[in-house]
Amino acid sequence: MSEQSRPLPLSRRTALAALGGAAAVPLLSACGVGTGGGGDAAATANGAAEVTGSFDWKALSGESIKILQTPHPYQQAFQPLLKEFTELTGIEVQADLVAEADYFTKLNTELAGRTGAHDVFMTGAYFIWQYGPPGWMEDLAPWIQNSAATSDEYDFEDIYEGLRTSTRWDFEKGSALGTGGQWAIPWGFETNVVAYNKRVFDQRGIALPETFDDFIQVATDLTDRANNTYGVAFRGSKSWATIHPGFMTQFTREGGQDYTAEGTTYTAAMNSDAAVEFTRKWVDLAKNAGPTSWTTYDYPQCTGDLGNGNAMMVYDADSATYPKNKAGASKEAGNLAWYPGPAGPDGSYATNLWTWSLAMNAASKKKQAAWLFIQWATGKDAMNKATASTFADPTRASVFDGSFKQTLGGFPGYLETFEKVIDSTKIQFTPQTKFFETTEDWAVALQDIYSGADAKSRLDELAQANTTKINA
Amino acid sequence: MTTTVGGRRPTEETPPGGARAGAPPRIPDWRRKARPYLLSVPAVLLIIGILYAFFYGVYYTVLDYAATNPDPQFVGVANYREVLGDPLFWRSAGTTLLYAVLATGAETVLGVAIALLLNRSSLIGKTFERLLILPLMIAPVIAGVIWKLMFNPQFGVLNHVFGLGSTFDWLSRDRALFSVVLVDVWIYTPFVAILVLAGIRSLPQEPFEASDVDGASWFYMFRRLMLPMMWPYILVAVIFRFMDCLKVFDSVYVLTQGGPGVTTTTLQISAFQDSITNLNYSRGSTYMFLLWIIVFITARYLVGVLGKAQRRAAGAGV
Repeated sequence: MSEQSRPLPLSRRTALAALGGAAAVPLLSACGVGTGGGGDAAATANGAAEVTGSFDWKALSGESIKILQTPHPYQQAFQPLLKEFTELTGIEVQADLVAEADYFTKLNTELAGRTGAHDVFMTGAYFIWQYGPPGWMEDLAPWIQNSAATSDEYDFEDIYEGLRTSTRWDFEKGSALGTGGQWAIPWGFETNVVAYNKRVFDQRGIALPETFDDFIQVATDLTDRANNTYGVAFRGSKSWATIHPGFMTQFTREGGQDYTAEGTTYTAAMNSDAAVEFTRKWVDLAKNAGPTSWTTYDYPQCTGDLGNGNAMMVYDADSATYPKNKAGASKEAGNLAWYPGPAGPDGSYATNLWTWSLAMNAASKKKQAAWLFIQWATGKDAMNKATASTFADPTRASVFDGSFKQTLGGFPGYLETFEKVIDSTKIQFTPQTKFFETTEDWAVALQDIYSGADAKSRLDELAQANTTKINA
Repeated sequence: MTTTVGGRRPTEETPPGGARAGAPPRIPDWRRKARPYLLSVPAVLLIIGILYAFFYGVYYTVLDYAATNPDPQFVGVANYREVLGDPLFWRSAGTTLLYAVLATGAETVLGVAIALLLNRSSLIGKTFERLLILPLMIAPVIAGVIWKLMFNPQFGVLNHVFGLGSTFDWLSRDRALFSVVLVDVWIYTPFVAILVLAGIRSLPQEPFEASDVDGASWFYMFRRLMLPMMWPYILVAVIFRFMDCLKVFDSVYVLTQGGPGVTTTTLQISAFQDSITNLNYSRGSTYMFLLWIIVFITARYLVGVLGKAQRRAAGAGV
């Protein structure tokens, strides 16, 4: 009998089996991020009270901070300006970048671990609903109100009111946004409207559709699968982010609502008659005039297809389509234009917004330096400079009306669209701590309907499950 | 007085006291006794490190720990009741199992076939042997990104090359699972092929030479000699791949995020969504512990099969 063909002894077999089991161990342990340091928002001491005296940008000269960002036109516009912050304050900034697909995974894990590794981080308004209750974010209202910590020139009220409101909440069931702490400062934001290929629209003499039914018809007419072009791109991936841009905007304009609240009890309403009818039309639009692989589409694919001339329209963030029209940025650069998208039956231009904001890690050991950075980055001077690059849309009215408007010459309809929807633009979702779970379930329901499930029964099932989850 | 050193009796050449001229100095008893324990310290520390994390994860499964509940309480088996009562768990378990069977099956058949082809010594074989390892050098996440671009009906290369136009969706509900399996097969078939090829090359040549002299056909030698003898190597590859497939996450998540709907939602993806997206750590840990049990039982079973195959192969090799 040859040596290599001798059976392994039992102990080695057992060891191999145990090895197989042990291989799953890191995965199991990876689910845990440490239970230490629990507590709620109120239990975390706010650092603003410790700052006294007169305001001085140089107060912490020689200090250094770390910020966590995702590669994004906002971040790219500010990157060259960081040295100006260092010159102004003497504070060094180390910016760590994590791709957007993994950004919130990294951020969730880091905040839950309460290491305070990064002092400042980029976040969206919805994330405040998740990060706020466990006390992971610093309430910035005391910092804004403290004249020793904040420059007289900061002018917080210059930031659009809808954006200031969207980043405040008291985390109480039934409470609207705009109450409670100021958990982040809006930095850049986007309204969800329609960008279209003006060259093709003009060539074919197509008028911009005013109603959703007309929109569907135009998108369908523009679809020519044989030539690899289609009417409209919008997100369809299995993610909460599928719901919030075009879908939520048009859903609201068509009379849809996510939840109704009675006191502190919510009832899911995404199965109302109006919601079911709209959802059916939206999914049919995706099938007949959307990207073929709609269930994998996020905004980069949508805007990529618009820039390449495959998609004739995109229903998504204005700031996501904006860079595609910059000279040399895409095949269709210079041919894109914007309009608000179809109005609702009652003429509503209700629009859902997304705001990238800057927040302070409650576990930061350098809170004053972190606040100086946030104050600088969301201040007028830095924001004005950033608009010369890819920073759209600025959150300050003075910056938007000043330097940003001057950059919009080659962007037909961008400004008019903004001015048309801005007063109706806000977060159209009901604030709630189970937002990501319930909204991703909503996206799963859309994918199921796209794959053949009956819209009414699937949305009934979703509404029942979400009502249970949100009230738990 | 005579003493023993290393269990040997002193000989006539050994002077009293046990020390010969030029011999190593005598090791004190306490050091000799302590040596096995000292040598095992790194292994013990490693095991403690692994087990600590493991049991910490298991501990989470009996708490109600979530971001929205930072002061967790003991809840007994409530998480297990909740997860096992959730249709998504069983759907995810079924998808995971189907994925593992399809991917491992395809990789094994292709891997063995490629190994047999590469076993013939030729310049082409040697070149392919080196090229074959390239997919293994790509991280599954990167492979997922590459294949997602290739699958895209609008600008992906696959629809263009196969003349499928812009309407064939590789990641539709009916095809998504097969497409994600295809990516796994692309990455890991070389692993099976290389493992099996190493096995083939280590087989004794005498039985083959004897059969050749007796005029046995290639197929007869393959079926009656080579296959039984290389079966243990194939099984080792199967064990590694099957266990790995049960834990699949990266490439599938990049390609579909578990969709459309829940078509490609594996247990790992469900656990990720609970732990990282929804920040419900206890529920996510429960998913993972249940997956660990599945992997452990499967590993035990497959290793048992491996033992039998080795005994059979040993008989064939005599």
